[in-house]
Amino acid sequence: MVFVQEFFDKYQKQLDLELIAGHKGLSKREIKVPEVHRGGIALTGYLKHYNEKRFLVFGKVEIEYLKSLDPQTRTKRILALIKKSTPAIILTRRYPPLEELLKICNEKNLPLFKVKLSTMDFLNQITLVLTDEFAPITSKHGTFVEVFDIGVLIEGDSSIGKSETALGLIERGHRLISDDLVRIKKVSHNSLEGRGVELTRHHMEIRGIGIINVANLYGAFCVRDKKRINLVVKLEVWDENNFYDRVGTEDATCEILGVEVPYSVLPVKPGRDVVLLIEAIALNYRLKRMGFHSAKDFKTRLSQKIALNQRKKMASL
Amino acid sequence: MIIHRTLTIQNERGLHTRPAALIAKTLSTTSSNVTFTHKALKVDAKQILNLLLLQAPQSSEISVSIEGVDAPEVLDKLTQIFESRFGES
Repeated sequence: MVFVQEFFDKYQKQLDLELIAGHKGLSKREIKVPEVHRGGIALTGYLKHYNEKRFLVFGKVEIEYLKSLDPQTRTKRILALIKKSTPAIILTRRYPPLEELLKICNEKNLPLFKVKLSTMDFLNQITLVLTDEFAPITSKHGTFVEVFDIGVLIEGDSSIGKSETALGLIERGHRLISDDLVRIKKVSHNSLEGRGVELTRHHMEIRGIGIINVANLYGAFCVRDKKRINLVVKLEVWDENNFYDRVGTEDATCEILGVEVPYSVLPVKPGRDVVLLIEAIALNYRLKRMGFHSAKDFKTRLSQKIALNQRKKMASL
Repeated sequence: MIIHRTLTIQNERGLHTRPAALIAKTLSTTSSNVTFTHKALKVDAKQILNLLLLQAPQSSEISVSIEGVDAPEVLDKLTQIFESRFGES
């Protein structure tokens, strides 16, 4: 839950919000749902299914409709929409506020904002902002890098070599988003966004060297702030008794915040160039995304060959 | 110790990726050298891609040769998975 004050401070510039009434309500009113509502039909007095927890947006239609009513009905209709849990009212297209609206907002301590944008543009913008603000968040230990434009989250026990791998990737021209701790946000039903934590962003701790700033050391080109997470690669110590995936026709996934993300386990042992392998995983993912699945394609060709051999065999009998 | 034996591919789809992975997995723990020969092609049976090179359909006969101290056990295991049609129809 966010107070309207925090929302105002954070998005005042982006949304071009101007506060015109109900100042006292800023620190009292909370935003409980990431939704907006155009007055529309509710202003006519039809309040079935009306959700008072949403932001109210008044555009041309609402204002003109209210103007057409007599002052008494106007006040009554506006009051019907406003409850304790209503966060704020926003007027679009710089409409001069109706007197009744100003009075009610001041009395009820309900923030009233004015924006320059058209109703449609404003609705688009505020929906994006609220979705982002209310998106589920989690943190994960791991190193997040961008390899060939693919967001790869590298997981694994400490001292397995995640940071060293990332350093190797950076040296080869790939980018670091975050080392050690990654903040993950669910930006839509099927996508996750990873970013670093403000303080440690673009810094890495390498055993034997200490803390380094990658942006200073390798240049601004080698870092970025956020990126969609496309793949999770887990580094683990090579286990002789474990049988690792050797065909790759089955696509494993792991779940983060309810989103399924392609997942690979990469066994590490001396002589295995992990940097090279992660590049290969990222490229293979790109190929798959382009509709070419190397392992499945191979499997199909093999099955065709075996079937052909079978037919030849039958014919020779 | 060296053992030679002929095993027959019994499943309908032949020696495709899943059976090959199963064979390689079964052999991954042994130190014996295992080779499969089919149609004059001799391959290392621990390598999936090598097994697939055989392109062996149903009822192909594979000459298996196992060299190592645990050869009899390895043969038992291999016979078992061939007999079970690699868990397929």
